[in-house]
This record gives sequence, structure tokens and C-alpha cells, in this order.
Amino acid sequence: MSSTVVTTHAPVRTSGLVLSKSATIPWYIWSCITASACIMAGLYWDISWHQTIGRDTFWTPAHLMIQFGAILTAASSSMLIFGTTFGRNEAAKRASVNVLGFRGPLGAFISAWGGAAMLVSAPFDNWWHDAYGLDVKIISPPHMILALGIGGILWGSAILILGEMNRAEGSLRRHLQSMLLFSGGLLVILDMVLKLHDTGRVLMHTAYAYMVLSIGLPLWLEAIARASGRRWARTTMASIYTGAFLLLVWIVPLFPGEPKLGPVYQRVTHMLPLYFPLLIIFPAIALDLLWPKMKNLDLGGSGRKYFKIQGLPRFGFEWGKWQQSVLAGIAFVVVMMAFQWPFADFLMSPASRNWIFGTHYLYYAMPPESHEAQHIFYSIEHTTLAFVGKLGLAFAAAILSTRLGITWGNWMREVRR
Amino acid sequence: MVVQMTMFKRFLLIVLLVLPLASFAHVGSPDIYYDGYAGQYHLLVTIRPPAVIPGVAEIQVRCESSDVNQVEILPLRMVGDNLPPRPDVAERSTGDPQLFTGHLWMMDRGSWKVQVNAYGQHGNAQMAVPVPAVSMNSASMKKTLGGLLGVLGLLLVAGFIGIVGAANREAKLDPEKDPTPWQRRRGLISMGLTTAFMIGVLLFGNKWWGSEASANAKLSYILPHLQASLQAGALQLHLENPNEVSGFTQFGTERPDRLRLDDLDLDHGHLMHLFLVRSDMKSFWHLHPNQIQTAQFTEELPDIPAGHYRIYADIVHKTGFPETEMGEIELPAVAGKGLNGDDSGGAALSAGDKVSELSEGYRMVWERDSAPLKTKQPLWFRFHIEDKNGKLATDLESYMGMAGHAAFIRDDGEVFAHVHPSGSVPMAAAEKAQTAGSTPNSASGMNMAMNHSTPSAAVSFPYGFSQPGDYHIYVQVKRAGHVETGAFLAHVEN
Repeated sequence: MSSTVVTTHAPVRTSGLVLSKSATIPWYIWSCITASACIMAGLYWDISWHQTIGRDTFWTPAHLMIQFGAILTAASSSMLIFGTTFGRNEAAKRASVNVLGFRGPLGAFISAWGGAAMLVSAPFDNWWHDAYGLDVKIISPPHMILALGIGGILWGSAILILGEMNRAEGSLRRHLQSMLLFSGGLLVILDMVLKLHDTGRVLMHTAYAYMVLSIGLPLWLEAIARASGRRWARTTMASIYTGAFLLLVWIVPLFPGEPKLGPVYQRVTHMLPLYFPLLIIFPAIALDLLWPKMKNLDLGGSGRKYFKIQGLPRFGFEWGKWQQSVLAGIAFVVVMMAFQWPFADFLMSPASRNWIFGTHYLYYAMPPESHEAQHIFYSIEHTTLAFVGKLGLAFAAAILSTRLGITWGNWMREVRR
Repeated sequence: MVVQMTMFKRFLLIVLLVLPLASFAHVGSPDIYYDGYAGQYHLLVTIRPPAVIPGVAEIQVRCESSDVNQVEILPLRMVGDNLPPRPDVAERSTGDPQLFTGHLWMMDRGSWKVQVNAYGQHGNAQMAVPVPAVSMNSASMKKTLGGLLGVLGLLLVAGFIGIVGAANREAKLDPEKDPTPWQRRRGLISMGLTTAFMIGVLLFGNKWWGSEASANAKLSYILPHLQASLQAGALQLHLENPNEVSGFTQFGTERPDRLRLDDLDLDHGHLMHLFLVRSDMKSFWHLHPNQIQTAQFTEELPDIPAGHYRIYADIVHKTGFPETEMGEIELPAVAGKGLNGDDSGGAALSAGDKVSELSEGYRMVWERDSAPLKTKQPLWFRFHIEDKNGKLATDLESYMGMAGHAAFIRDDGEVFAHVHPSGSVPMAAAEKAQTAGSTPNSASGMNMAMNHSTPSAAVSFPYGFSQPGDYHIYVQVKRAGHVETGAFLAHVEN
């Protein structure tokens, strides 16, 4: 990971509250990063638990890990907000924002909101199970509130780091940049976990899977990369996901585990990892390689058009950023497909059914006649037209996500509170 | 989403009120009672299936003797090869060492069985109890929970709007600076836009919730209703199949809970056991129509008095999944042929509290104590047949392979259960449960069936009422070549 700072934008403003080079990373940033890591580890563990053992209680170790993360976030964010609101530290007050009468760093409010959303999702999810049965799918209304909560905690951590980072210099700034990228890596993991069912091995020869991947992922990569200013930011975040999933594919099966629910169609004797990581590392590298060639589009403001409405400041339609988005979006989808599509053939072959690639690890209730168990691709687009249509949507999603990421990233670069 | 909760709750309540009290194989009586043998261990198993699938079933195993030290339970699908999950050790009651209880998850709709492993003085042995797993309805949300979630949801929405406002107003400001009037206005505008956005999110969430509830409701079991008509003295029955779900599972395989009408199995030698009960409960008939084509049955009626009849048609699918189709018909007085085969019934049954008069001066006696009947209690309903001198009858025969058949029918017709001495499980399903799935266990299953097929003057049925009300219990035994029907009254309290 390079530590080169790429100054592609106007230099970050400094102020009288710039921290000294010898200042240390504040405790609440460590706390939020620890909480974020615990939640993501707990989330992975929980899904692995569901795939191996099946039976769920409030007190599973995975749930406790997630709850610990939520409580740690809630406690540290509350201390920070209440300390700032009711304390006498004027400097902290000046470096804070006002939300519903309370004062604190913006990131602390977002983290606290995330923790609250996680708390609200718990009784809602419990009722959901009672009303409609224990869900065996990831995407459901209470789970989405939970995911929003986790996303809130992760983004809150990122913004909290940014608030400090954008006022810091020297080694502290570099350390905070690294922490921001770690936080971004966790966001990528969350994104990929939420897309598990739609990007599985059996769907890798559909345009649908690439469309799903293109929704959101380029946004997170672009936004955090811009905010961090690091040369290889996208590669670093993708590496965190890739490294974590690789290690887990190799480590998780070392622990014993067996199903406690039926129907059991696959003999399972050890904990199951999720899957071999998707090759998002390659589009991430491509985007990082492309970035120096594209940055002038952003800076030059070529073709910038402004619109003016009476009483409002002008707003611009920035061709340069759209050009960047189109180039990056196309590159993302093309490189992703170029690597993942042929690699999927390998993942379906007997050569991948070993501890390295782990395609022989099958969920205990996976029916033997399922595509996954038979190691064959599942077809969604039955005509060329349908395939091309989905592929078009994949490009559109990647372009739009990148464009949003540019706006979001540029905003984050200037967060100072 | 939360703002719309009340509206949705009302909708759910209305749905629940208009839904009939549906249940698989039986009507309004979902609990399963099964008396059988695991090797030499005599066990009475009670299973209360969950109201929604996936959900938790309550299991109770009562050992009739004290020779069992440990009981394990595990769920298995009846169809297809599936491996046993790690069994649960049922908890032994401290007050009653012969009672073991536990809970099991039923993860999919369809035909399941609960395997019971008994360990004791005679080694270990197994038996299996079929469990049709279906979602019956959706629970409504309690006011307190709805209110709590509503308040928390509003706080989340308000917090989100406040955060967006702060982000646009002052997040980018140097700490020493205050927001300008324009920055404050920008904060307010962004809060207004976010409010509109959140309303959109809430509306979308509500629609999504409604869509999930609707999809779930489609998977809930619907009590099938048959169409009945009388043509030239023959009852014509057309079955419906509202639960024939199509499509595929998330794994791309055919849904295992699919029900078909071209796969019916013989139960006691018949594809259908039809119960015709006049609304005054005095005319009761147990008939066995013939299938003329898929979903079409016909039955030449015996002499039946006129009246409004309720129809309960028991069928068992080849998967071991039993169903009861309900119907109604207004019958004129039918001058039909006499009863033949296994058909039986009575045109003017007089129900008693403890004694029911049979033919030739014989009587059927319900051996009940004075304790009131309560719901959710596994009970043994014991009867004996005596002659006009009060001596136990000696000429009882097997009736369709069993010592007797009983029908528990609530007087309003909304609860029906067809029960055997082995319990509320159809024999076809019980036999399949011993052999289907991963652990064939035919020996113990047959042992159980043979045990109950031995006719004597006494017959008993394990059963428990699921709902309160006034019931008629019809008990049928075969004596001296013909089937006798005893009728009894039962009042059940909650």
C-alpha cells in the first residue's frame, strides 16, 4: 500500500485547529473502528453459523459479537455527543455539528444513528420471525434496517475519521488515511455480504450478477478513494475484502460444526466459510491505474455547464465528472467480467473443490439436485436480448454509482467536523 | 414503514378474521397425538406444530413404562433422502420422570416426521411420527410493540433528517467559523428534501412489507373445499387443490411442499374416508367413495335422512401429507342401497354423556372421570362395549385393520379430527414415516400397527382438544360382522 498523497483537488484547507504532527488518534476513532470490525466479523460468523449449524438463538457467539459492536458504538458515540454537548471543551464544541439540539462530530451522530437502527431492527426482526417464520433470506425489511444500521456505523466511523483526518497533517494524517481505507474495506465487505445470494458461483455467467455488483460497489470505492487521497485506495479496499475472505475460506473449516436443523442434504462436519472472494481486486486495480489518466477531466472542468434559478446559487452539470464516471463505470464492468467469467468456469470444475478454493463446502440444506450442488451454472437471461439488456443495466449502474461516488467523495474530502 | 404499521396491522387483523380455521388433515385441530412402540418402549408422542414455517414445534414424549432413560428427537423430511441432523436430547421432567419434552425447528413446509430415539433397559430403539408442516396464518403485532417500534422509527427518521441538515449546513466549515445564512438555508432545504425522501422510503418500505406479507399469505395453508352434488342417488365430489404451489425454491429445485391430487395413497385400503354429518349431529356416516378420475370421486349413498350435511373428506398424499377437504350439501331423503364394504353410520344416533346405545341391546361406555375436559391436554379416550347383561363384548372384530375409529366434531362443524387407537395420524402416513427418509424403521412401525389392530372389548384413542366448545365424539367398532357407532357429548373448556 502506497502512502503517496495525490493532490488531485484543491488543497485541503487548514485552520487554527489543525492537530499537531505528534497528536495521537483519538480514542473514539479506535473505538468505532473496533466496533465496525467486530460487527463485520460477527456478521460473517452469523452467516457461517446459519449455513453450518442452522439453529439460531439470541446468544450465539456471532450475535454477541455483533451486539458488542453495536453497544461499543452506542457507548462511545453517546459519550462523545454528551461530552461535547454538556462539557466545557469549547474547541470540541467548535469542531462539532448541531443535530436536534445536541452537539458532536458528524460521524458520531451517524454512528449513533446506526446503533439505534440496529437496536430497532432487533424487536422488529423477532416479530417478523414470529409472523412469517424464520427467514432464510438476507434481504427482508427488518434485515435492511439492520443493514442500514451497520452501514450507519461503518459510514459514521469513516466520517469520524475524515473529520479528524482533514484537519490533521503528517504521520497522523497518514495513519488516519489508513484507518479510513480499513473502514472502506469493511464497507466493501458489507456490500459483498449483502449481495451473497445474487452474486453466487452459479450466477457468474449471468449479466444479472454483474448488474448487482455494479450497484453501489463502484460508489463506495470511488467515494472513499477520493476522500482518502491515496494512490492505490481502491486496490487497498478490495484487498481487505479479498484477503479477509481468502483467510476465512482457509481458517473457518478448521473448526468443527454440524447441522442442528433439518432437512440435511449435505454432510457437514466443520464450519462452512462463505465463498472464495469475487475478483473485484482486478477492477479495483484497473480503476487505480486509470485514475491518473482521468483526473484532469475532473480538474479541467471541460464542458462544464451552469444553470441558474432565481434566488438560488448556480449549479453545474459537470461533463468532466460524467466523463470520468463513464470511463470508470465501463472499466469496472469490463474488467470484472473479463476476470470473473472465465474464473467461474474454474470454480465449477473439480479442480476447485479443495481447501484453497472451497467450492465443495455446501450449505447443509442445499438439495443435491440444486445447481450449486451439481456445480453447474444457473441461467436467468434466456435470450440474447435479455442478456444484453441486463448488461446494459450493469453498465448504467456502474456509471451512475461512480458518478455518485465522485460527488460523495468530494464532499467527504471537505468534512471538517 | 413504521408510520404505516397501524394500517397494516388492521389489514392483518381483517385477514385473520376472515380466514377459516384451517389445518391439515383434520380441521381446526393441528396438534398431533401418536401412540406407538420404539422397539419395546411404549411411547405416546404429542407434537404441537408451529403456526408458521419455519418455526418451532413442541414435542412431548410420554413413556408408558419406566424403562426409558433418555429420549432424543430430530426432524427429517418424509420425501427424498436427507441426512439426520444432530438430535436434541429431550428434557426429562423432574416431577414426572416418564415425561420428556423438547423443541424442534421445522424449516420447510411439507411432509415431515419427527424421529424419536429411546434409550433404556432394552437398548436403543426408534420410531417416527409424521408431521405435516404448514404455515397457518400470520401473527398480528401487539399494540405495545407497534407503538414502541413506531416511536423508535420516528426518532430514526428525525435523526436522519437532522444529520443530513447538519451535514449540509456546517460539516465542511472550519471549526472557528459559523454557518452563513445561505449555509443555514441550505441545511433547511436539504432537511426538507430529506423529509420528502424519507416519506418515499417509508412508502416503499410499507409496500415492500405488504408484498412480503402477501407472498407469505399465499404460502399459508388454505383449507381445501370440495364441491358436492347428488346425481341419481350418487354423491359426486370434486376436490379442489388451493395449495398446489408451483415454481422453484431458492436453490432452483421444485418446491418440496407441492401438493398434487394425482398422488393419493391408500389409507386402510381406501383413497378417501368421507364423513357426512347432519347439522343436528344425529345422522353420521363414514363412507369410502371411489375415484373416477383425478380429483373426482363418487359414492352410492345408503338410506340417508334429509337435511343439511357437513362433509369431511380425508385423503393422504403419497408424500405422507394428509388433508381434509370440507364441504356442505343439502340432501333430500335418499333411498339408496344398503351399506356395503367398510361403509358405516347411523341415521338417528342419540348421543350420551357416558353411555351410547348400540344394536341388540349392546352399549358403548365412555370410561371418563368427572374432571372437566380442557384444551391442549393429551388425553386417553377409553371406551368399552358391553352386552345387555353388562358383560364385556367378546365378538369384536378389526374394522379396516384397527380396533376402532373415532371422529371428534365440534357442533358448529369448525373442528374435525379423525382419530385411531394409534392417534390422530393417518395410518398411511404413519407407515410411510417408519420407512421414508434416511433411517428406515419398519419393524417398530409395524409393531405399533399390529398392537392396535388386535380387537378387544375396550378401545382407546389418544387425542387432545385444540379448541373449546361442545363436541360430539363418534366411536366406531366392528362387532359380529357389522359396524356399530357410539355417539357421546363432550364439553371442552379452555
